[in-house]
Amino acid sequence: MRPARLLRWYPPAWRERYGGELLALIQDTVDEGRPTWRLRLSVVRGGLRERVHQAVRAGTAAAKRVSTGWLMTVVAGLILGSLPWNIKAPLPPARAWQATAALGALAGVVAFTGVCVLAGGLVAAPAFIAFLRERGWPKIRRRVAWAAGATVAAGGGLAGLFLGQRSMSSAQLSHSWAYGIGVVATSLALVAALGLWASAATATAKHLKLGTRARAAQPLLAAVTLTAAFAIVPANLIWLAAIQSSLAWLVVGVANLALLGVVTPRRIGQAVRQGRRLRAAASGRTTISPSAQRTPGRRRA
Amino acid sequence: MAPSGLRRPNDPPLLILVSLADGPKHGYALAKDIEDFAGVRLGPGALYGAITRLVERGLIEPAGGDDRRRPYRITPPGSAALAGALADMRQVTRTGLSRLGLDPA
Repeated sequence: MRPARLLRWYPPAWRERYGGELLALIQDTVDEGRPTWRLRLSVVRGGLRERVHQAVRAGTAAAKRVSTGWLMTVVAGLILGSLPWNIKAPLPPARAWQATAALGALAGVVAFTGVCVLAGGLVAAPAFIAFLRERGWPKIRRRVAWAAGATVAAGGGLAGLFLGQRSMSSAQLSHSWAYGIGVVATSLALVAALGLWASAATATAKHLKLGTRARAAQPLLAAVTLTAAFAIVPANLIWLAAIQSSLAWLVVGVANLALLGVVTPRRIGQAVRQGRRLRAAASGRTTISPSAQRTPGRRRA
Repeated sequence: MAPSGLRRPNDPPLLILVSLADGPKHGYALAKDIEDFAGVRLGPGALYGAITRLVERGLIEPAGGDDRRRPYRITPPGSAALAGALADMRQVTRTGLSRLGLDPA
């Protein structure tokens, strides 16, 4: 078997990057002779190991994407499903303070999440402007158009639901197929819009040339934003429990809050350490783990 | 593996980092150098598997040259990682020798 044919054991992408070098090494090693069985076995084993490695990495990335997508869908469904449609229902006096506190917390968390997202946008703004000036818009135009389309559809659906609520009684709404289908379609459009904007943002981030400080700030900003976004669920559940006098929703809401309290310090701590590692690696002072390198806006080598 | 069954410090990534510690080398030079100082003959598959992982982790990087005999050099994070690993090994070595009564220190 000729040395070049041995390279077929490796994945195409690996061959394109390292194939020439490996072939040169094999040729230097055999020095015009025929490759020994030991050398062939080493190359075959290396190629199979590389294929397994790439398959595992691709599988892990796909699993992460799928699990994140499902998680976001479940969170969105929980929020939409637990929304109290009958907001005008009278509150039991004993629960009024809970509703007020939970509603205040809900509004606060939503506002804080918005501020975090805005801060992230401001941190990336100079790089984004530079990207647009370098004629980067065509690279993201299609994704942004899809996201804008889904947003318009979701907005239209919400407007239709609002008009339906104003023109029909509660009894009519609960028996209206059109209204039910409208709720489902609007929910799907909202989830699609969120997913498409996230996809457009991720695609844009891959093209941005962020400075060291911006890249180091990213992990902490992402952790805080994610925590704030997830805090919406327990705040919403506790509010729902208060206005419906539901012990079950209260237990689920408090359990969610407790879980968030357990997870958040660890997540924030990891983000702070990751930011430090990124800063240290940029100044060449210490090692950087593969996970720390995988930040949005950077492609791996 | 040594006759006693105890493993030698022959981890390919570690050997590559040690070899690159004194300057850039291409694949064949790396294999020969490692064979000289460690007595370990790394096959082409094992060598390039380790090189791939080290490049992915940012511990080594290509140092120019032509596509076929491309030299690699150790990066600052690679130097720090190597220093840490060697310090750990030195600690184990010192402790073992001391407990066997073979190390006067």
